[in-house]
Amino acid sequence: MSDLINEIKTTRKKIGISGSDERIADLSKLTPFQQSLRLATLREFQAKKIKKYVKKQVTQLNTKRRIAEEIKFLFDEHGQPSANMPIEDVVEERKQIENQIRWFEAITTELRNRLIKIKEIEDYALDLIGQKESDS
Amino acid sequence: MAAPLFLLAPPRSYTSLVNAMIGQHPQAFGLPELCMFVVDKLKEMWMPPTDPRIESQPTWAIHGFLRAVAEIYAGEQSAAAITMAHHWAIAREERSIASVYQELVAKIDPLISVEKSPIYTTSLKCMLSIREAFPDARFLHLVRHPVSQCKSVMSLNEGTFAKYVNSIEFTDTRAIIEPQIAWHDLNINILNFLDYVPKEQQLRMRGEDIIENPRHYLPIICRWLGIRDDEEAIDEMIHTERSPFACFGPFSALFGNDPAFLKGPTFRPHKVKIPSLDMPVPWRKDKKGLRPEVIAMAQEFGYK
Repeated sequence: MSDLINEIKTTRKKIGISGSDERIADLSKLTPFQQSLRLATLREFQAKKIKKYVKKQVTQLNTKRRIAEEIKFLFDEHGQPSANMPIEDVVEERKQIENQIRWFEAITTELRNRLIKIKEIEDYALDLIGQKESDS
Repeated sequence: MAAPLFLLAPPRSYTSLVNAMIGQHPQAFGLPELCMFVVDKLKEMWMPPTDPRIESQPTWAIHGFLRAVAEIYAGEQSAAAITMAHHWAIAREERSIASVYQELVAKIDPLISVEKSPIYTTSLKCMLSIREAFPDARFLHLVRHPVSQCKSVMSLNEGTFAKYVNSIEFTDTRAIIEPQIAWHDLNINILNFLDYVPKEQQLRMRGEDIIENPRHYLPIICRWLGIRDDEEAIDEMIHTERSPFACFGPFSALFGNDPAFLKGPTFRPHKVKIPSLDMPVPWRKDKKGLRPEVIAMAQEFGYK
């Protein structure tokens, strides 16, 4: 087959630096300076590729870290998922938080009512003081 | 055994779409990118190239082969079928690529196997190996305008393909990746190879023409292949999304084709804007245009 390849490849002229296989650069076509330039370009290309890859990985890592923070309560102190953590526990946790929210809302409502009453008493007292001062 | 059809074109030349179109014909079977003829024995597909100057292919280069074996022998591309494909390959690892490919083509028979692996165009040896394995194979030389093709090459992973095939231009002080060299030299490889193929076994078409007017150009391909060219067959060919390979595969063999095609395989005919041959090319900062050799070849392909 190599004879055939030699016979065929001479019919048209190429403009690149490869021989019969485009994947292999024919370095004999290049001066030492050009060979160095080629190597520098290939290294720069590789560096850019790695930089892009690392950037992408860091973005993904940050996203994963945020998600991890949000679901931390599902894991133990060693960062491992609890052994056979049942869904009931998750539901229980949710109910507990909802109860605490309701409890705090009830306290807030109660405190607001008391605040309104205290304000009414305060206003009434201030009115009385104002009246006494005008009478005297 | 039906003579297989191979699409020869540099990458990003509408090969995925046209391969899927022809493969959807009721008398054809469109394969994914098998990339088989770059090696001599089947087991070498899992090994680094024997020549250390050649960059290793990415691991996903075998996905097309695994998906094809899974689909042909198991009728599905499940994870289990991919495992079966691995076993199928191991049982044949010492066999030549030609005999394994012949086995696949015989299994598909009487349907015509249709394949495109742009990597075949990087070496005359690959294409001659195809012809040696299938002396009656047909070859469709698909061309695309150099500016559009090069732009597309450079937009994919910073032009990694151009780098892979040493498409490098030298100025006084630096070397730059210049995809038009690859466009020219890969087409030279194809033309040189086709000189060696009988005229009735080869056809050249512009990808833009097929995309713009498939109902005119697909019947021409059908008649050349000697298969039906009625409306029903052409309708089927236009539904590229119906190909079993027009989607991502299972986790163990995701690819086998251009990811852009796998993501959106539906074809809609549209007019393709053809750039001028004498304008500055968009991937160069120095505002240079196409080289005279590239312009001459593009004109030979019918671009103005």
